[in-house]
Order: sequence, then C-alpha cells, then structure tokens
Amino acid sequence: MSRQLSGREPSYVSELYSAYSAGQLSPAFALMIETQSALRADIRADLYVSDAIAGAMLEEEAPALMSPNAFDKALRAIDTLGESEDRRVRAAARAGSELQELLGLPEPLRERALEACEAGGWRRMTGRVRRLDLGSRPDVHAHLYRIEPGASVPRHSHHGDELTLVLSGGFSDASGNYGPGDIARQTPDDTHKPVADNDGPCLVLAVSEGGLKFTGVLGLLQRLTRR
Amino acid sequence: MRGRVLTLARIDNANSDRAIHSACMKKIAVEQCRTSFGRLFEYFAPRLKNYLKRMGADDAGAEEAVQDVMLTVWRKAGQFDESQASVSTWIFRIARNRQIDLFRKAARPELSPDEPMLHPPEEEAPDETLNRAQIERNVRQQLQTLPAEQLDLLKAAFYDGLSHTEIAEAFDLPLGTVKSRIRLAFNKLRGRLGGD
Repeated sequence: MSRQLSGREPSYVSELYSAYSAGQLSPAFALMIETQSALRADIRADLYVSDAIAGAMLEEEAPALMSPNAFDKALRAIDTLGESEDRRVRAAARAGSELQELLGLPEPLRERALEACEAGGWRRMTGRVRRLDLGSRPDVHAHLYRIEPGASVPRHSHHGDELTLVLSGGFSDASGNYGPGDIARQTPDDTHKPVADNDGPCLVLAVSEGGLKFTGVLGLLQRLTRR
Repeated sequence: MRGRVLTLARIDNANSDRAIHSACMKKIAVEQCRTSFGRLFEYFAPRLKNYLKRMGADDAGAEEAVQDVMLTVWRKAGQFDESQASVSTWIFRIARNRQIDLFRKAARPELSPDEPMLHPPEEEAPDETLNRAQIERNVRQQLQTLPAEQLDLLKAAFYDGLSHTEIAEAFDLPLGTVKSRIRLAFNKLRGRLGGD
C-alpha cells in the first residue's frame, strides 16, 4: 500500500529513533523519546513502524541453542514468583470473564484497572451491577462500573460532582441517554438512577469527589456498615 | 548471507506462527497455561538468545537475559493486545525495555542542535488513520519488497542498533548514502511514496 501524503514531511528518521527501537538508547533519552511520542502523533506512528521492523526481524533471527534445562528453570522462576511478582497473572485471573473487556480499555486506564484487579477485584453491588475501585485518593474516587443490559445502578446522590464516562454500551437516566465517549455529569443535588441499555453490558468510568452517598436501602446499609 | 531476508515460503509459516503465538498469549493471560508458555519459550528464547549474543552478551549473560524477558512475558501476558501488535513485536519491546533499564553507558548518539526532535512540527501531524495493527501489516508487507541494500541498512539501524556512522563503516558506504537509503526505506514502511 502506498499513500502520498500532502504537505511537508512531518517527521524524521533519525538515529535517536532507531537507537531507541533497538534498545541502544540511555534511559533518559528513551524517556524523552517516549514523552515526545506521547505528545506527537507523527512520532508515535514512526515508533510503531520501528517496533514492527524489529519484531519482524526477531522472527528472522537464527535460533541459538539454549541450555538443556532452560525451560525448567523458567518454570521454577514462575513457581517462585513472589506475591507481588505474581500480581499481574492473578489480576488477569481475578478479572475473570471481564478480562477481555478490561484489555479493551485505553491506556492508561487499562493499567489502572488491571492494578485494581490485583488489589481487590470486582465488588458486587447488586446481582447485575459490579464495581471496581481504581484506588481512591482521599477526595477523588474513581470506579469502573459494569452494568448488565437493562440493569440499573441503585438510586444514589453524591457528596460532590460525579462525572461518568461511557466506555462501552450505554445508559439512560433522567437527564438523557449516554453512549460510548459521552460524559454525564451529576451535581450533589441530583439523585439519579442510571439504567443500562439493553444491547449489551455497559462499562463506565465514574469519577467523583467524596464518593457516592446512597439514598435507598443499600444506602442505609452502607451508612450502617461504615460505623 | 545478505540479500532478501524473507522468502515467500517462509511468509506462510510466519503467518500461522503469529496466529498460534497470539492464541498462546491469551491462554497464558486467562488460564496461566504453561503449555502455551512452553511453545512461546521454544520459539522465542533461542532467537532472543542469538540476538543478545550478537549484541555482545556472552552465553551465560544472554541466557540470563532471556530468562528475564520470558518471565516478564508470563507476568505481563494480560497486557498483550493482539489488535495492537504481533507477539514478536511485543516481546522484542520487552527485551528492549530491559536493555534500556540495564543500559549504563552514555547515550550513543550525540544530540546535535539540528536534531529534528528538538524542533516543533510546523504543521499538524498527518491523520492517524493508520492504526497500530495496520502499521504493522504494512511494514511486514513492505519488508517483502524492499531492495536488499535498503533492508540490510534498516536492519542494522532499527534492529541491531548501529549508529549511521557505524553502519557507513560496516557497509563501506558514504554516510550520506546510508542516511538517504534508510530514509527512503523508512518512508516506504510508513506507507508513503518515495523519499523527500
């Protein structure tokens, strides 16, 4: 495939990029390249090209003879992975059937979600609504919610503003209908009861100040168990 | 030795290998499947080892590094996303990051004032319609058609990590020729016609 792009050459092939791709750049320079690529789409695309070159070349690499017990050694290393070392694998296991959904999340959210799976995993709110705590700081709470099709999140209000970004699926509440990429905002005065659309599970990222304050029966339980 | 690296017969094999490797990654992530890990180990460990030895590691050092990389593959299997990259690209990146971590020497390339990365882009970046998977597909396709003289230089720069000056010496070419050939080749892999 060939495409002629108009305009001036947007970026460059330089030794810095090739050295980065081949792992020959010092950490500070590597960080610089990575930061630049986060800021500039053209550099990012070039690094993808560079990575793909190296990946294809690795497949063409002549195999060297490994020591006879190399794989056993690798398995032993897996067996002796410490608690923290093994977190990623356990996270994947705990993410369970939702793993693929989590893997579909954009970075850096995906990383946070997988970390949260390591820390505690999904908590059940109702039979059909689950919540993943993305690590609360004192005043800012971030959660992933997974709502089964047609299910509703218990009616609740907020201590502070809550913003909800739809990641997949959709939901409706009194204020309207929201789809992927939409952000719904609730103020402390709103008491809302979002209902997921019927066409699939709804995954949302909810960020709030002060956390949720439940007003129904669950809310009472929540207040009681807090004491 | 030099010349076209990939041949048509090997492309089919490579394609089915890639599908199998992808499936193995998924099984490691979801069910910690050791058989799948074994298959990946069998394929990638000897290749990584050879690469590292060519990069200057001794036998024991290369083997230790391979163990490290493969353990990371196991631990981070959940992060692998086949819609983003092939397994080989992903694993190479792990090896690279390890290398960067260990790299204690001064940065090889000197940062000169006319280094392009120090200058802001003059216009908006091109549309990012080529996603990562498309980029990789395009790269692999273009690698088949690249003249050997360009492929060799590309490999030396992006895989073996030689500086342009080192490449010029190794291939006995003028520095300007090295730069223009690499630029020409890279533009093709970007999915763009010609050079400047």
